Amino acid sequence: MGRGEKIKFKKLQDYPDIPVSTATTRYNKTGSWRNLRPIIKDKAAPCSKACPTNTLIPQYFNAFIDEDITNAGRILTLHNPFPSITGRVCPAFCQTGCNRRKLDERISIREIERVVGDAYLPYKAEQKPEKEIDKRIAVVGAGPAGLTCAFYLRKMGYKVKVFEKEERAGGVLRYGIPEYRLPKEILDKEIEVLDNMGIEFEYGKTLGKDITVESLKEKFDAVFIGIGAHVEKRMRIEGEEYFLSGARFLKEVALGKKEPPGKKIAVVGGGNVAMDVVRTLLRLGAEPLILYRRTENEMPALKEEIEKAKEDGIEFKFLTVPVKAKQKDGKIVVTNIKMKLGEPDKSGRRRPVPVEGSEYDEIYDAVITAIGEESDRSCVPEGILGEDGWVYADKKTGATRIEGVFAGGDFVQGPSTVVEAFGWGRKSAEAIDRYLRGEDIGKVKPPERTVSFMLVQMEYFEEKNALKPRELTPKQRIKSLDIEENPGFTKEEALEESLRCFSCGVCNSCGICYSYCPDAAILWKNNKPEVDYDYCKGCGLCAKECPRGIIAMEQEV
Amino acid sequence: MAVEQKVIMGNHALSYGAKLSKVQVISAYPITPQTQVVELLSEMVGSGELDARFVNVESEHSALAVCIGASMAGARTFTATSAQGLALMHELLHWATGDRLPIVMGVINRAMAAPWSIWTDQNDSLSQRDTGWMQIYCESNQEVLDSVILAYKVSEKVMLPTMIILEAFVLSHTSEPVKIPDQKLVDKFLPPYENPYALTPDNPVAVGAVASPDFYMEFRYKIQEAMEQAVELIEEEGRKFEELFGRYYGLVDPFYTEDAEIVFVCAGAYSSTVKYAIKKLRERGKSVGVLRIRTFRPFPYEAVRKHLLGKKVVVLDRNISFGAGGIFFQEVKSALYGKKRTSCLGYILGLGGRDITPEDIEGIYEDVLKRRKVYEIIWWRVKK
Repeated sequence: MGRGEKIKFKKLQDYPDIPVSTATTRYNKTGSWRNLRPIIKDKAAPCSKACPTNTLIPQYFNAFIDEDITNAGRILTLHNPFPSITGRVCPAFCQTGCNRRKLDERISIREIERVVGDAYLPYKAEQKPEKEIDKRIAVVGAGPAGLTCAFYLRKMGYKVKVFEKEERAGGVLRYGIPEYRLPKEILDKEIEVLDNMGIEFEYGKTLGKDITVESLKEKFDAVFIGIGAHVEKRMRIEGEEYFLSGARFLKEVALGKKEPPGKKIAVVGGGNVAMDVVRTLLRLGAEPLILYRRTENEMPALKEEIEKAKEDGIEFKFLTVPVKAKQKDGKIVVTNIKMKLGEPDKSGRRRPVPVEGSEYDEIYDAVITAIGEESDRSCVPEGILGEDGWVYADKKTGATRIEGVFAGGDFVQGPSTVVEAFGWGRKSAEAIDRYLRGEDIGKVKPPERTVSFMLVQMEYFEEKNALKPRELTPKQRIKSLDIEENPGFTKEEALEESLRCFSCGVCNSCGICYSYCPDAAILWKNNKPEVDYDYCKGCGLCAKECPRGIIAMEQEV
Repeated sequence: MAVEQKVIMGNHALSYGAKLSKVQVISAYPITPQTQVVELLSEMVGSGELDARFVNVESEHSALAVCIGASMAGARTFTATSAQGLALMHELLHWATGDRLPIVMGVINRAMAAPWSIWTDQNDSLSQRDTGWMQIYCESNQEVLDSVILAYKVSEKVMLPTMIILEAFVLSHTSEPVKIPDQKLVDKFLPPYENPYALTPDNPVAVGAVASPDFYMEFRYKIQEAMEQAVELIEEEGRKFEELFGRYYGLVDPFYTEDAEIVFVCAGAYSSTVKYAIKKLRERGKSVGVLRIRTFRPFPYEAVRKHLLGKKVVVLDRNISFGAGGIFFQEVKSALYGKKRTSCLGYILGLGGRDITPEDIEGIYEDVLKRRKVYEIIWWRVKK
């Protein structure tokens, strides 16, 4: 019965037992009363925003919570091709963005990523090109940036060839990061996926020697340069020739050399490479120590790495730097000088100033320097360089000033993190795609609005601190280079921890809006809410109650 | 089979009654002396012992609103309150009846403010006389528990809500041995609630919307009809209950009425005191009896007449309708209207929790003998 049909109760028997309408109230489209309209739309989670690759963290968590590993892996690899790697070596920028920090503790996102990444590895062969496109792209450098760029371009269907100066792929992942942080087995599996996708690799090709940007430009439709930063900075002191290179030492170890260059070894520097060198030396049986010209506060290494080195029992000599060295009886006599902190420099860190007359000699079996690296700018055409002489590439696209040539990773921004190189690689791949399709390279999709802590409804969450992996004790882990120091989460732990996630801005079908709508105007379709605008009066309860800030009220026009 | 017995207070008897009735939604706001009722229920829900939703609210008005919504959606619902809380619910009491929802509510009789009192009298529940709720006044904790189960049975059949009423502290906080009925037997007696008009988003309808003067009266008529039906059902279900559990509860509870010349009429737990005093008077050869009115709404006119016709009736009211007199007194008088050979005296006593003792009853008995008027309102033990 619809509107307008008069119902006449003539006798008492005609009446219902309760005062209820005999027809449905559906004819009354109460949606016309509305002046505000709820919009259900996923937003960006702050963790995703904080991640250089913008990985869809709550989205893959939700698939993982549903125990759908392949789906979780698929969502995860939309932005980060190698989660098993970042799940181990990433400084986890995502965790610093996590809204949950303001309730109790951030989610252990990295540990969950590792579990999902590892669990997805056996299924990763499904990553295939979506189609075949008859365009060829040269990627120079098989490090984090290059591999990522190659992965996404190949997935789109482009024919990709990777040129690498070493004999194997991986770059810093293989020759820099030690085994105890990233087992080579994991790296090999990840690279196998790229092989299976049909990416071609050509090894032993050095840019500027065997190949040039110009020659690649002729044969390929686009070129991506991701050759890293491998030119070591010099100390410029007398006797520096007796010192060993930190990066080279790590590479030799990666290639199989398991002998330290002596017992008592000084490692000069305060960055991540210095930490890797000193901790590797310890695991090879040496007695290394750190010489650093400033104090712990100014060390550029990740806090986590410094902490681990200290736990390992490594001695740090701060405010100390070699000023000259000489060889004597197969050992190295180093003259160190004590420093003090002066005025802040350009980087904001206090500048070390030598303390006059504080020189003293110390004898070491070897000295290894790890005081920073720069990109090699001699192997690329000048057009790629900016006015300041450094490599120039657009942050959002990797586009250089030469048409069809893109660049990213450490090569552009100097030594940084693996995940940042992944970000460069993917953004460049997308820009190359736009370039080859004749679109505006800079037309990057604007980011979604981020859900702030204020938009998360705390009524729905109980305080619970983060789970953290049960790490090995320093004593256990320093026994060998092959012992992965972080055993990570079990699948169960990862599940438990992922349940702490607010799922900021990402609908996880919790059903709160459905339950709260006083007009039953939230429909439930394919396990997701949908507003029934015919009946929604725009009261806004759904938007107020949504625990994760997905529903916004907009003015009706 | 041994029957489980617990020593529990009246408030917890309500909780056990609700639990055994397998209520699905409970919503309540705490007020002395009711708090323990829902405290225990929330523990039962929290521990998983009772599979129900416990909804915390900010007032009694909301508590009953929640029950109304849940009941309309087809859930068996329970709430409890006292005095000011019940008064705050007043508007929604009418809604529950009008929408014909079989909600059961525990009401712990507490005197109305001002002045503040936490002690007992019946003015809070009797003030809600005309809201269309059935009202059951209990004498013991056992009766409290059993009455909850019985109330759901009758309420759901006649589609009207029920208040189970007990006195503050006298029953609410006093522990007595109570037999806890076997769940299986309760399930046998009380099947799950099915609301034939249960609201569902799939078929939205308007409930309680406007009814024009052309239509309104018939809905009211139907409520009265249901109340009249309840009079018979209460006795019928009482007998079925007795078959399963061995305890009978009906409309009224007569005690030595048959051959008595003077019959005391009362309701609630102080009836026990009256019965005790009457037994003592009987031992002294006095011709006295007691009629406890258990069901106040629907009012059991027939049963009252049956037991009181031709007697000298003495109504003991623990309440007062200002400007009229004791409320039970008025009801009893109207039941006996036009019947000759009957006189009726109304005593007001025990307001605000003032004790009613066997000596009071004996005193009233002596006082009755001196009275010559047929109808009168007498304040008992007021300082003058």
